[in-house]
Amino acid sequence: MENSTEDYRIQSFDLDTQVLLKTALKDPSAVNLEKVSNIIVDQSLKDQVFSKEAGRICYTIVQAEAKQSNGNVFRRNLLNRLQQEFKSREETRARSLQEWVCYVTFICNIFDYLKVNNMPMVALVHPVYDCLMRLAQPDALMNEEEVDCLVLQLHRIGEQLEKVNGPRMDELFFLLRDGFLLQEGLTSMARLLLLEILEFRAGGWMLSSTAHKYYYSEIAD
Amino acid sequence: MSEWTRDRRRDAHRSQHDERRSGPSQWSHCRKRGIDGSLRANREAEGCDRENGRHTDNSYRHSDNRHSSFTTPESAGPVSRCGRQADWGSQVEDDEMRRGVHRDMQRYRRRILGAEVTQRERKTSSGSSGSCDSREGENIETDEAVLLRRQKQINYGKNTLAYDRYIKEVPKHMRQPGVHPKTPNKFRKYSRRSWDQQIKLWKVKLHAWDPPTEDGRDNLLDNIEELGLDDVMDIELDFPTLSDSQNAPAALSTHSLSLEGEDCLGTPVKIQKTETTAESDTV
Repeated sequence: MENSTEDYRIQSFDLDTQVLLKTALKDPSAVNLEKVSNIIVDQSLKDQVFSKEAGRICYTIVQAEAKQSNGNVFRRNLLNRLQQEFKSREETRARSLQEWVCYVTFICNIFDYLKVNNMPMVALVHPVYDCLMRLAQPDALMNEEEVDCLVLQLHRIGEQLEKVNGPRMDELFFLLRDGFLLQEGLTSMARLLLLEILEFRAGGWMLSSTAHKYYYSEIAD
Repeated sequence: MSEWTRDRRRDAHRSQHDERRSGPSQWSHCRKRGIDGSLRANREAEGCDRENGRHTDNSYRHSDNRHSSFTTPESAGPVSRCGRQADWGSQVEDDEMRRGVHRDMQRYRRRILGAEVTQRERKTSSGSSGSCDSREGENIETDEAVLLRRQKQINYGKNTLAYDRYIKEVPKHMRQPGVHPKTPNKFRKYSRRSWDQQIKLWKVKLHAWDPPTEDGRDNLLDNIEELGLDDVMDIELDFPTLSDSQNAPAALSTHSLSLEGEDCLGTPVKIQKTETTAESDTV
């Protein structure tokens, strides 16, 4: 089943790239892993759907490489490329909101999927927080796209992030709370999303069934 | 207590002046005292202060007493500072290695502990106390910075074609102490110099398994000649830290029994035994 989603995601590339990625998944030493990592990052920055799923592909390649040759060329290149993009995130955001949102989605997805001895990668904790903090700034809260991205990431990795660094999560939620309570001009969708994430964290990263009904039943009607 | 530390210090002194003359067991004992990483500065200080009396003694006692707790903050500092400077890829690799080393250390401790229990049982039957046990605990290198540095050196050695060939051609149970290369035990306390020597000798031995080339054999010989007698002396003297304990024979037999079924050829001791097993996890 996992393979079928991977295959599905890989369909969006041209034929040569598809072959390259499929080989990378099965026989990583046979391909240029630096190139593979760049292809994946480039695609993630363009394609929001892909950026949500790329973590799994990366995970599979990392595992395959470690098993095959005890190597980590792919992971190293992937992370360093991510770091490079991280450094220019303000320019990216100014240039293209979509690319910026894709970047955040991707780095969070990587944080979620790639682990070191089953623990989150410490090197990514602060960068991920930095991205989320940026999304929680007043100017970003005005963009539904960014709010949507922010709450989605928090739903996925909020609990893990809080475990590795609680104080920064508090800091982030002060911003969200203040934005929700004090900021003029938020769209109603943005307010609703913020309220939901505030309640979600307050409930121990879970929604009670009443809350769930409150936020989701209306949509169904 | 202070009396004891002062003695200890004097031992360390003597080791500097009588290095070549004192007997092996005393030498290795002193040497062990002199080790714990903090040392280079201490030694220099010793050089100029050694004629002074109580006053200096106190200051020494301080730095000496600190040694176990002293290393901890120091180790955390540099490592994380380096980590922050490095790129994310290296940070994650360092992180991975650090966790690996901690996991190894827990295993090693468990093993040592298990071995000590057996040893203590033996001893109580013969009436002596558990002095050796505490000693064993003290001998564990816990400084993270040191462990990481050593692990890196080991990784370099293992990341070779020669090593791959070696572990393939000589299965574990066939390896003989003194004949086959044996990965140095990173958890034992050794001086920097001794450790580097062990690594060097280990790598030289591993070269025997280099993939065959025309001048491969010459290479190996060159390496050995480069080493010189002093190097070899240095390393061999450093090993028998345990053999100077009165109960060594008993300890030896229990250890080899409790740790692995391998046959132990007399001298080379439980350190080496434990090491084999500890290393096997990291391969």
